[in-house]
Amino acid sequence: MAAAIIETSQLTRSYGDICALKPLDLCVPEGEWLTVMGHSGSGKSTLLNLLGGLDRPTGGSISVRGTDLATLSEDGLARFRRDCVGIIFQQHHLIPYLTALENVMMSQYFHSVPDEAEARHALERVGLGHRLKNRPGELSGGEQQRVCIARAIINSPRLLLGDEPTGNLDHKSTTMVMELLRDLRDEDRFSIVMVTHNQEVAAWGDRTIHMDDGCLVREERTKGC
Amino acid sequence: MTRRRWLAHIVLRALVHRWGRTLLLLAVLTLASSLATALGLVSASMKARVAEETRKYGANLVIMPESARVEVGSGGLRFGAVGEPSYLSQDQVLAALAKSGVKGDYSFHLKGALTLKGVQIPCEGVDFTQVRRLSPWWQVAGDWPRAGEVLGGSDLTPRYHVHTGDLFDFDGGKRPLRVRVAGLVSTGGEEDGTLFIDLKELQDQMGRPGQVSQVRLLADTGKGSLQEQAASLQRFLPGAVVKELRQVGRTSEELLGKVQLLMLLVTAVVLVTAGSSVAGTMSTAVLERGKEIGLLKAMGGSRWDLLKIFSAEALLLGVGSGVGGFLLGGLIAKFVASSVFAADAALRLEFFPVAVGVSLLLALAGSVGPLLSVFKLDPVQSLRGE
Ligand SMILES: Nc1ncnc2c1ncn2[C@@H]1O[C@H](COP(=O)(O)OP(=O)(O)OP(=O)(O)O)[C@@H](O)[C@H]1O
Ligand SMILES: [Mg+2]
Repeated sequence: MAAAIIETSQLTRSYGDICALKPLDLCVPEGEWLTVMGHSGSGKSTLLNLLGGLDRPTGGSISVRGTDLATLSEDGLARFRRDCVGIIFQQHHLIPYLTALENVMMSQYFHSVPDEAEARHALERVGLGHRLKNRPGELSGGEQQRVCIARAIINSPRLLLGDEPTGNLDHKSTTMVMELLRDLRDEDRFSIVMVTHNQEVAAWGDRTIHMDDGCLVREERTKGC
Repeated sequence: MTRRRWLAHIVLRALVHRWGRTLLLLAVLTLASSLATALGLVSASMKARVAEETRKYGANLVIMPESARVEVGSGGLRFGAVGEPSYLSQDQVLAALAKSGVKGDYSFHLKGALTLKGVQIPCEGVDFTQVRRLSPWWQVAGDWPRAGEVLGGSDLTPRYHVHTGDLFDFDGGKRPLRVRVAGLVSTGGEEDGTLFIDLKELQDQMGRPGQVSQVRLLADTGKGSLQEQAASLQRFLPGAVVKELRQVGRTSEELLGKVQLLMLLVTAVVLVTAGSSVAGTMSTAVLERGKEIGLLKAMGGSRWDLLKIFSAEALLLGVGSGVGGFLLGGLIAKFVASSVFAADAALRLEFFPVAVGVSLLLALAGSVGPLLSVFKLDPVQSLRGE
């Protein structure tokens, strides 16, 4: 078994009285594609935000690639996000006044230096070589999600996080995005943690965990690992 | 693309994207900075104008010897003091001017009398070049005197039959004196009854070389008030009295000071108002852009990166409207100066940093609150919201 990219122990996140995530022990091996499923409000996004260094746990420990996120300062977390993770959102969250190309370059800016050729290559990889100069408003939902993927992988992260990335897409676009993610993962060998409500989407992963009321209730292998 | 160029690029993109708000901010900042510039320019031109006007009134300080006082009376009975003519030394006055650092034009005056055919005529010894410079309102019929010539007061004509071109032989001095009347002066004041003669000549005649009975001084008030200048001069002239002259000049200076204070207050009010409006506009902008800020943070932008982006926007707005404010302020100042003060207010380059500084300061001051919220904004919260 490969080394773990994610290791949590008794990881907890509560908001006052509400315990959004109950003590969780989770281990994700390097290169695994993990799917997180569960009812609305079961704590999926909470878990993902903790893994992405967007939020801090209220208890337990979380380490990603050997780094204990709890020990990182605010700026350390920002550095962790730009160096180690790529995030794909359900609502795309592209900057409306920048073109597809510029949206990807923005991510490069935080990481190191904007490099147009590299950004163009990333968009070509997601099949958008012909829509470089279009703004998000001029792209379809599926296209926007692919820009989002190009932006997430541009700095070669080791961990890709997706919070219902296909939640707003129809069947055809969903399949296209999933195929794209599979191909990219096969080339770049990053790990994926993806939240979804969609059984079909879950089938693309290696393993699925089910959550309910902040607890991990069930776990199943979808493919051999 | 370098990081700096990229920063400029996206900041411009963001400003153009919200062009309505950008124009509003530019307008507010430009107006504020142009007002500050205009008032500064008008105030500077007013100051020059007042100085010029004050000059027309002649000397603003007079130095006189403290007349020797002789108490009259005895015991409880006092009849007051009797003055005797006394004199100042020219050298002492020049030394006092040098030591006190008071600068300006001055003229020496020696009062005396000369006898013409048995009649005493009041005389005043002056240096004609000094007097001419210090008393621009003197109207001279004929010429200003050269060597061996004098200037008669216009009242001397009816009283003593003094005419331009006349030759007179004075006696009663140390030696006989023959002079020609070069011209007649009329000022409407006491000068009209006086015969003006070369200072050196009169000093010789009276046996008082290097002595004068009065010094008139037009002190530069650029550095300090007239009162301060008089006081500092007085310190070096123990045997003399330094008095302020010409209330006219003083009132216009006081008025100028009050007008300047008023303009300063108006500017302050305008700047505060503009600052709050900038702050308000910036705050809504930041609120609206909460998602964008959250996203940038989620993508790995540190708080400092975000602060840099948003201060760059404020900086660009500030500099842009500073340049605009400088030019607009120049136009306003020209209009105000010509229509209100009948003066010209040239656009001075030294006000450029003022204009840019004012709008930059406003833009940054107005952004402090919004920038703080950018700094503190939690990416999870802002991305979740909807
Ligand atoms: N900032 C917050 N303050 C208080 N409670 C919160 C906050 N954020 C999340 N919660 C609560 O934590 C619980 C888990 O939320 P979370 O967003 O992780 O759910 P989820 O599984 O992602 O749901 P969905 O499928 O609807 O996105 C919910 O009960 C939610 O109300
Ligand atoms: Mg969620």
